[in-house]
Amino acid sequence: MHHSKEVFWWSLFSAGGVMAALFMPALMVATGVILPNRGPAAHAQIHETVSFWPVRILLFVILFLSFFHCGHRVKHILMDLGLRRASGALAVLCYGGASVGTLAAAYVLATLGSG
Amino acid sequence: MARGATIKLDVFRCRPEDERGTFRSYDVPYREHWVVLDALNWIKDYMDGTLSYRWSCRMGVCGSCGMMINGQPALSCAVFLKSYYPNSIRVEPLSYFPVDRDLMIDLEGFLAKLKSIKPWIIHEDEKPLEAGEYLQTPGELAAFKQYSMCINCMLCYAACPVVGAEEDFLGPAVIALAQRYNLDSRDQGAEERSVAIDADEGIWGCTFVGECTEVCPKQVDPAGAIQRAKVASAKNWYSKLLPWGER
Ligand code: SF4
Ligand code: FES
Repeated sequence: MHHSKEVFWWSLFSAGGVMAALFMPALMVATGVILPNRGPAAHAQIHETVSFWPVRILLFVILFLSFFHCGHRVKHILMDLGLRRASGALAVLCYGGASVGTLAAAYVLATLGSG
Repeated sequence: MARGATIKLDVFRCRPEDERGTFRSYDVPYREHWVVLDALNWIKDYMDGTLSYRWSCRMGVCGSCGMMINGQPALSCAVFLKSYYPNSIRVEPLSYFPVDRDLMIDLEGFLAKLKSIKPWIIHEDEKPLEAGEYLQTPGELAAFKQYSMCINCMLCYAACPVVGAEEDFLGPAVIALAQRYNLDSRDQGAEERSVAIDADEGIWGCTFVGECTEVCPKQVDPAGAIQRAKVASAKNWYSKLLPWGER
């Protein structure tokens, strides 16, 4: 079977879309709206939850795939807007951005609670 | 409706030697039961015999009468004048195709793409005639039937911005047709078709706009066909990475 390299980026995009749709709204409401209004006790609670390793790993997977979902979508929107010829540069920019986001997420999650 | 009422059609006119075309206006009798194609036929019969366009069945079956009607790809035999009256109607050839003449587009590119995906049943091992027909269950028929309903009207091409931006993009209908054969239980040609399908100009050219499915008069859902082909390709690719995966 012949394959284009797009299959790899698309699979990250596709998995990221599922992750973002399933978890992002709940995460945003929980961490962005409900918890900040609940004072320091809630903060400690969230810290405790996230220090549980399986939760960290799950968060990492969600963030990693969502970043690549976003990168791929933005790349294709820009291509549709007329930047088709610059698709190589866009790939570096968009997937590079997603990689930076992923590394940052990994760093934050790995060092959480240790400092 | 007043007796003797008319409706104005602004029709794109272009001869092969013209660099670009112009619009010509025609006042056509307004009839409630007329479709745009009836109005064009009236123009050709009574006003201007030089007007060129394609049509055949007048009932949404042959797929030859596709045009841009007020900027929207549509079968001209399926769009009623009364949807526009008393406003005028702009009629143009399908977008993104080279124009042969007036409303007639050049089909060569489309036909070459169609051929490239080998739209016929491919058997690895042909049974002898005496062995009888290749039987199929209703479920196996249902797996591809929707994709076999395409009438090659090319409305989906005129609706797709990727077709406009990327001349070599295989396009919605051709990919849906490849799926029609790939999902047929009697067919073993998916591997051969993947050369054209699983390419940057094939399924991966699609940027999930979805307009093809919106305009399709036969509910083929080419956008869905493309997404399914992408999932199948990704599954196949990952399965090959596994040590026990088929290679
Ligand atoms: S998929 Fe639909 S719109 Fe496209 S050519 Fe076939 S019938 Fe026409
Ligand atoms: S004339 Fe056949 S589809 Fe319109």
